[in-house]
Parts: sequence; C-alpha cells; structure tokens
Amino acid sequence: MTLLLLLLIPLAAGVLLPLLPLPAATVRSGALVAALAQLGLGLWLWRHPSDDLSLNWLPQIGLRLDLGLDGLSLPLVLLAALLTAMAILTSPQDQNRPRLFYGLMLATNLGLVGSFLARNALLFVLAYELILIPTTLLVAIWGGPRRAGAAVRFLLYGAISGIALLTAVLAFGWLQNGGLDFSFRALAEHTLPSGQQRWILALVLLAFGLKLPVVPLHGWQPLTYSEAPTPVAMVLAGAVSKLGAYGLLRFGIEFLPDAWTAWASWIAAVGAISAIYGALNAIAQLDMRKLVAYSSLGHMGFLLLALAAATPLSLQGVIAQMLAHGLIIALLFCLVGLIETKTGTRAIPELSGLLNAQRGLPFTMGLMLLALMAAAGVPGQAGFVAELLVFEGSWVAYPWPTLVCLLSSGFTAVYAVRLFNRVGFGRLDNAKADWASTSWSERAPALVLTAFVVLGGIWPTLLTGLSEGDTAPLALRSSEAVTVIATSTPQELNA
Amino acid sequence: MTLPATAPAAATTTPLIPPSTHRYAEVIHRLEAGGSMLPDTPENLKQIIGIYKAYAVPMDFYWRDLLYIAEKVFLNPLPAFKYFISQEYLDRPNSYAGDQSKLRIWRGGEKAHPELLEFMARGETGKMPKLLHHLWHDRVNMEFAEACMQAMLWHQGMGGRFNDYLDSDAYKANADRAIRAYFRGNPLMLGLYKLFPEMFLEQVRQLSYYANLGLFWEVMAPVFFEMSDIYDEGGFNGVPDAMDFLVNGIFAVAGRPIYHHVFIGGECYEIIPKSEGFTWLYEAALPYVEAVFYRTSPFRGTKSYNAQAGQVPSDQADFHYGILYADVYPVGSAGIPPTLLMQDMLHFLPPYLKEIYKQHKRGEEDELIQLGITFQRSMYNVTSAVIQALRCALLYPLDDTDPEHLMANRRFFEAQMDRFLRPEARLSDIQSQDYR
Amino acid sequence: MATILETAASAGCFNTLLAAVDAAGLRGALESAGPFTVFAPVDDAFAALPPGTVQTLVDNPPQLARILKFHVLAGAHQRAELVGQNAWASLEGAPVAIRRSEPFEVKNATVVNADIACDNGVVHVIDRVILPG
Repeated sequence: MTLLLLLLIPLAAGVLLPLLPLPAATVRSGALVAALAQLGLGLWLWRHPSDDLSLNWLPQIGLRLDLGLDGLSLPLVLLAALLTAMAILTSPQDQNRPRLFYGLMLATNLGLVGSFLARNALLFVLAYELILIPTTLLVAIWGGPRRAGAAVRFLLYGAISGIALLTAVLAFGWLQNGGLDFSFRALAEHTLPSGQQRWILALVLLAFGLKLPVVPLHGWQPLTYSEAPTPVAMVLAGAVSKLGAYGLLRFGIEFLPDAWTAWASWIAAVGAISAIYGALNAIAQLDMRKLVAYSSLGHMGFLLLALAAATPLSLQGVIAQMLAHGLIIALLFCLVGLIETKTGTRAIPELSGLLNAQRGLPFTMGLMLLALMAAAGVPGQAGFVAELLVFEGSWVAYPWPTLVCLLSSGFTAVYAVRLFNRVGFGRLDNAKADWASTSWSERAPALVLTAFVVLGGIWPTLLTGLSEGDTAPLALRSSEAVTVIATSTPQELNA
Repeated sequence: MTLPATAPAAATTTPLIPPSTHRYAEVIHRLEAGGSMLPDTPENLKQIIGIYKAYAVPMDFYWRDLLYIAEKVFLNPLPAFKYFISQEYLDRPNSYAGDQSKLRIWRGGEKAHPELLEFMARGETGKMPKLLHHLWHDRVNMEFAEACMQAMLWHQGMGGRFNDYLDSDAYKANADRAIRAYFRGNPLMLGLYKLFPEMFLEQVRQLSYYANLGLFWEVMAPVFFEMSDIYDEGGFNGVPDAMDFLVNGIFAVAGRPIYHHVFIGGECYEIIPKSEGFTWLYEAALPYVEAVFYRTSPFRGTKSYNAQAGQVPSDQADFHYGILYADVYPVGSAGIPPTLLMQDMLHFLPPYLKEIYKQHKRGEEDELIQLGITFQRSMYNVTSAVIQALRCALLYPLDDTDPEHLMANRRFFEAQMDRFLRPEARLSDIQSQDYR
Repeated sequence: MATILETAASAGCFNTLLAAVDAAGLRGALESAGPFTVFAPVDDAFAALPPGTVQTLVDNPPQLARILKFHVLAGAHQRAELVGQNAWASLEGAPVAIRRSEPFEVKNATVVNADIACDNGVVHVIDRVILPG
C-alpha cells in the first residue's frame, strides 16, 4: 500500500495545488513538500521494504497495477524525488503561471516514479507516455526563445519512442502463448525464439535509444536541453533520461538476454561513438547550456557501454552512473541556470572573472568547480566512482570501446577546464558586473546536490549499496576479477 | 594675492584660441578654466575628501615608519621589527601640523593621529600584544609604502637631481662613513662590506629613498587632514576648490629640503645633507607622481618580465600600471600593493562615505572595490593639482590675454592628456558617476 | 656704474629679491667681479606666488640658493646676444629658455626692462619668478 502512496502523493498534490485557491508561494511550497514527502517515503521504504502490490485494473488488456521496488528501481525513485524537489527549489519565486507549472512538474514526477515502480510492462508504457505531454508543455510554455521548435522536436522524438516501446511490449505479450500477461515476472520467464527476440529488441533499442539519447537518435536533445527552463532541464537530464537506461536494463538485459548478447558488441560501439561525439561537441560549444547538454550525451554513451558489457561490475556501474550522472547533470544545469539568471547571459565569450570575491559569483563558481570536476571523473566525487565501475566492468568485455570511452572522459576534462577558465578566471568587466550576490535560498539546491555528489565520491556505497544484490544476477557474462558481495538488499528480485 | 589656478569666467567674451580637437577636449577645456580632470559634482567632492581622510591616517604611519627605517633601522641585516615603530617616531612632530610648526597646514596635533593609534592597539580583531597583531597581519600594511618606495627606486629618468646624486662620490663617501659607524665592532659585517661594497651601498641608496618618500608623505598627511576639516565645515564649494588647496599646498612646501640623516649611536650622520639643495617639489613630489601614479609595475605574477615575451614595455617611461591606469579588482591574492592600501583605507572611512557605499552596488560587501574606485578618482584630482601647479610654475596664468601664451598652455595640457590615450587609462571612466 | 645688487637696491622694487639673496648667502658671490647676467624678478612676482612658498624657501638657504642661481647666467649678455640662442645654461645647471622673437621672454616670464648695465654684469627685469623644469 505504501507503494501506492508514492504515486498518490504527486497525484494528489498535482491535482489539488493548481485547483485550490492558494497564493503562488504556497503552491510552490506545497509542490516542494510533496516532492520531499515522496523522497522521505522512499527512504522509509528502503529501511522497511514493502511487498509488491498487485491490483487488477484493466484485465481485458492485461493492464494490472503491479507495483514493486527492487534494488534497481528504488535508487532511481529516490533520485527522481530528490531531483523534483531540487528543481522546484530552483524555480524562481515569481514563477510565471505557477499553478500550471508546478502541476506539470508533479505530473512528470508521477510518470517517472510510476515507470520505476511498475512491474507490469503495459503499466510501464503508460507511465512512460505520461511523462511526454507535461514535459513538452513545460518546454513549450516556459522555455527559451526557440522553445517552439524544441518542443515540437522533443514531442516528435518522444512520440516515436513511445510508439516503438508500445509496439515492442504488445508484440512481447502477443507473441507469448498464455494470454495477455505483461507482468515482469512473466516476461522474464518467456520462451521466445531468438529471431523474434531480436525484432523486439530492435524496437526496444529504438525506444530507449531515443530517450537516453544516443547518437544517432539524439537530434532533439541539445536543443531541448538548452531551451528548457532550468528546473525542467534538471529533471529531464537528471531523471527522465535515466528511464532510457533503466528500460534497457529491464527490457533488454533482463527480458531479452539472448538477443542482447548477440548485439552487444554493436551496442557497445554505439555507446563509444556517442561518448566521443558528445565530448567533442561539448568542446566546441560557446553556449554553456549546450555544452552541458552535449556533456550529458557523452555520459550516456558510458551507460550504453556498461549495459552492453553486462558484467556484474559494469551493471553496478550502470546504476552508479545513473545516480551519479543524474545528480551531476542536474547540478550543472542548476548552476548554469543560476549564472544565467544573475549575469543575463550564458554565452561563454561574454563571461569572465566570475570568481571575483567582491563582485563576481564566487560561491556559485566554487560549486561549479566541484560539479565540473565531478563530471570529468575526478576522484573524490561521485563521477569517478561511477566511471571507474563502468570502465573496469566493461574492459573485460569490450576493451576497444572502453578505450574510446576513456578518451571521451579525458575530453570531458578538456571542456570542463576550458569552461571554468573562461568563465571563472580572468578579469571581471566592471561595467557589466552589477548583479546582486546569490542568496542562500538560491544556493540551496546546488548546495544539496553538491553535497550528495561529494558524499557519493567518498562513500561509494551511497551509489551502489542499494543495487548490488540485484544487478549481479542480471549479468550476462562474468568478470573473473570481481567478487560480488551482496549487501543489504531491499527485497529479492521477483524472478 | 592671486590664486594661480582660478580664472574669471570667459563666457561672455569670445575665446582667444580655437577649441581643442584632442580626444579629451572637454577635459582640457575644463583644465583651462581652472578645473580638475575630475568633473565638478557634489558627490565627487564628497567622495574624494572622504577618501583623502581615509588615506591620510595610514599615511601618518607610513611616513613615520619610513623615516624610522631610514634613520634608525638603517642597515640592520635582519630587520624583523622594522614595522615596530618606536614611540619616539610616533611622537615625532609633523613639521606642518601642531602648535610648534613653522608653516602650519593642519590645525590638528603634531603627533600620530588618534585614530591611527587606536587602530594600532585594536586592529580588526581586538586588543592583543603587538607581536600577535603583526604576525596575524592585523596592522597597517606597511608593505604598500615599501612598494611605492621601490617603484621610485627602480624607475629612472623621472627628473630631479636625487637619483644622479646617489651615484656621486660625495654620496659614496657619506655612505661609507655611515656604514663603518653602524657596523663598528662587527668584524663579520665589515668584512662583508670589504668584499661587497656595492651591495651595502645599494642598500643605503634604497634607504635614502625610504627617507625621500617619508619626507614627501610627511607633508601630504596634514594636507589631507586639513582638507577633510575644511570640507566638514563647508569650506569647499566644489572639486576645483579642493584642487586649488592642493596646488597652494604644493607651492607652499615646494622648497622643503629633502635629506637623509641617520642616527647611529646618538650621533647624526648626514648621508644626504640639506645643503645639497634637494627640494620637495623636484626631488620628491614629481618623481613620486611619475613613479607611483603613472608607472609602478604590474601585479606580481600577471606579466612576464621576459624580454622575448614582450608583455611589459621595453621603455620604463611606457609603464602604465599606476593608480591612474589601475584595474581596481584585486588580481590574485593578498600582497598586491594597491589592495593593501585599499585594505588600510577601509578601516578609516568617514561615515558619510560609508553611507554612499551602502547604497550602491553590493553595499557593505564590496566596499573595497567601491573605495578603490573612489581612490582612483581622488588621485586623478591630485594629478590635476600637480598639472595645474606645473602649469603655474612653468607656463602662463589661465587668464593670460596673449593667445600665444594660451596656446603654450594648451600644448602642455594636451601633452599631459596624451598620456591617457592608451586604453588602460581611466580618465574617460571617471567622467561618469556610474563608475563605481 | 653700480654693482648688480646696488642697482637693484636703488631701483626700489627688488626688496624681496635682495632679502632672498641675503638669506641664501649669495651676496658675496653677486658682489664679485663676475660678470653675470641676472634675470631679476620684481617684488610683485614674488607676491604672486602662493602663500608660504617664499617663506619655506627663505627658511632653507640651500634650496633658495638653487632657485636664485637659476636666475643667473655666467657672463654678461645683452638682449641681442641672448636671443641668438634657444637656451642658456644657468648657474644652477638647468637651461633657461629664451624666446628668440618679439616679445622678449625668458622661460614663462616677460622681460619688462632689458639691458640694465652694471659693474659686474647685466640685469634684465622680469615679471615672474622662473623655475627649472
């Protein structure tokens, strides 16, 4: 029942807050409280694992309300809740049309958490599709100057992704004998021949490849991430993109292992290409937002590589990277958004000397330094832990793509340092430096995210502890050098 | 007695010379009308007087300690306590303040300013033994004064006879006598002196510049204090009035002798005697303005002195790192002279100046930057006073009726403005009140 | 004819100058055979300087001597000879600029009365105190 509560909180808040006659500040606080309550509930569920929930909904089409949390989905639920809360904190106090905005943010959260909670494939697709419309509206209404084109493109790509996924799921269910049973348990035990598996996997790869995204399905990403308002970009890049990796983990590795193993080397190659493409493009950017967007693209390539390798260590790396990258990219978008709000620009050539202690943004730039170091994979922060697991886990399976991804990680340091050098150091232009310094309420979301990023770096169990036990059984190949020690797991994987 | 800088309004008569076509024509015309490079607004006046007072208090320490080092510390090889000024020098009467003064500029007392003494006792932290204050660097930043001295020492070709005298035989003889007296009974140092006479001589030359700068600032401190007092009682009608006070002050003290006397074992050794005829104007003030306002040297570590790198000008006269060209943001960390002075001035700001800073930019958070820019404005005013004084001494009155004389004045002003044509100059910035 | 200083004393408008010469201890030098060319500022010229200037100089004889020596050239030179050169070296060391065309000016001072012959030199009366630089 408590699992249902995880969904009811954003649902209730998302419906009530916009409709009740409340002042705008209360709507904002209410949304924040809802997200934090969800986070708190998720933490409670970690300590007190709850049984799966299974309710009938539309049995005629096989849609059952199957909810459950395991080591793979619980960390992501916590991430989604945290990022929603931080995104709401990042939104300005005088947000335009607050009711609609926070309502849509909570609707997005509902879809996200619903996707992670679902243990029924059709329910998963439903929740997956649910995310599309609110996020499109968020970009279209509150976005930057080119938001119309960005929203349309985002909607188009998202729609194709949804259709592909629905087709795959329906085919999965239809091709199975024994009725319309879309539950994960049933799908995991399927006995489809490898030819049919490959067709379904192709659709699955298309669907989630569009979501992550990976090259060459990434056409929507740079534009959407740079035109979306900062809170929306945080949630999109931090949580919604992880849905793609989660989906690949479930639908690809867990349900279609034979087909996955057959295509894994191609998938690894695509991951490597995506990583290099993202990093090299990031180096060329003059717009901070676009730079972060391409950085995100690069890091998704690492995820794909680790998924392709599917060793126990690399799958731990997948979860770790999902969490670490989610936090880091949300932090980067938050800080870039803060800089843009204060200075009025996000073009790198126009900024310089922001580290100036008297008239710059020293606190923000300090956090930015930590965030960029984390993105580059510097030890001491979460990014390093994740990348180490990914590379060590994938090296035994695919050494060449791993090397390419390592190179990409090196390039990350290049654009991180260049960005910080141009924007932070140097001489501040006194004529333009007439913004007020950041207040603690403006710094709060970035500070919280930074704290988690640093904590994850010095206490890696934060990233892997919840999922270790559940990723090991999913592995499709062994890596001799690793002994998996199952720590406290929330519950057994229902296999 | 005519004040040389003011001129009657020429608005009703046709001007005797055509207007200037210089980029800074507006400023030149203002100078020709008896004004300053700084525009004449009430806020400008308030800012510069306030900062003069804030500058004068640490300056009171600087000149006393500079003379203490030049005259008493002298060639101490380990001068760890050179900033621990003796009571004698704190009480040393300023020749231009107090009842005993022969040419009294400031109405106040001749000993160290009370605000300075209070700061030396408390600092920013609290009442502590002097050694702890010193080690915590919670004190007046004397390093700034030493950096100014080094600028004067290093730059050549700034006019006056002082620099050339330091290479003369008379000076060497005087210095030799003083060095031997100082190290009497110290065979190690005397032996070193025999091995490396030039090194000791160069140290003495540096100490002579300590004395030079100390004697220069001994005059400026009471000038600034008096300006603050006059302003408080409403005696200045505008920026030109303040500038005129400075011009008169420059002339009044122009003939002050510059000397270097050292006190060793109770005896006075005249390394540079007064009889050499060095004057405050030619040997101290003008080189100081040239070295510290215009030239100085770039912030440590920001420019390479490698000749192949071409980052600093190859001609010393082209150096443009003084306050008139300064970028007021601290570049890098502590230890950079202008920031040291800004830190000092922060402690002695008058309340009306703090009020202004609270209302602009980031209020109390960036007082340092705001006061740095105010200081820059005030130094442009001082430079204007120097320029007007030079014009008065070497050229023609502003109300001269001979067009050829006026053209000579014009050429002089334009030559001075030419030095501000380079992009680093802040002359155009200070014309606007928004430059904060 | 009288010496330079006697000529100045009898003119009646060089009181400040003579007091300065005494204070600087240059009387003996200027009474000697010379010959000298002296640019003598009138009393009004000293009065035109801002208050305190003269007093400070009078209190410091070496410094005053330097300024006064700037008004003296070695040798006796009439106006016609002076305008033949752009600048002449003063006894102080710094050059004194001469205007070579009408009117007769020495640095930034105008010569109101030129070529007053004396026993030990020539005096030209100027209306401003000239300063080196």
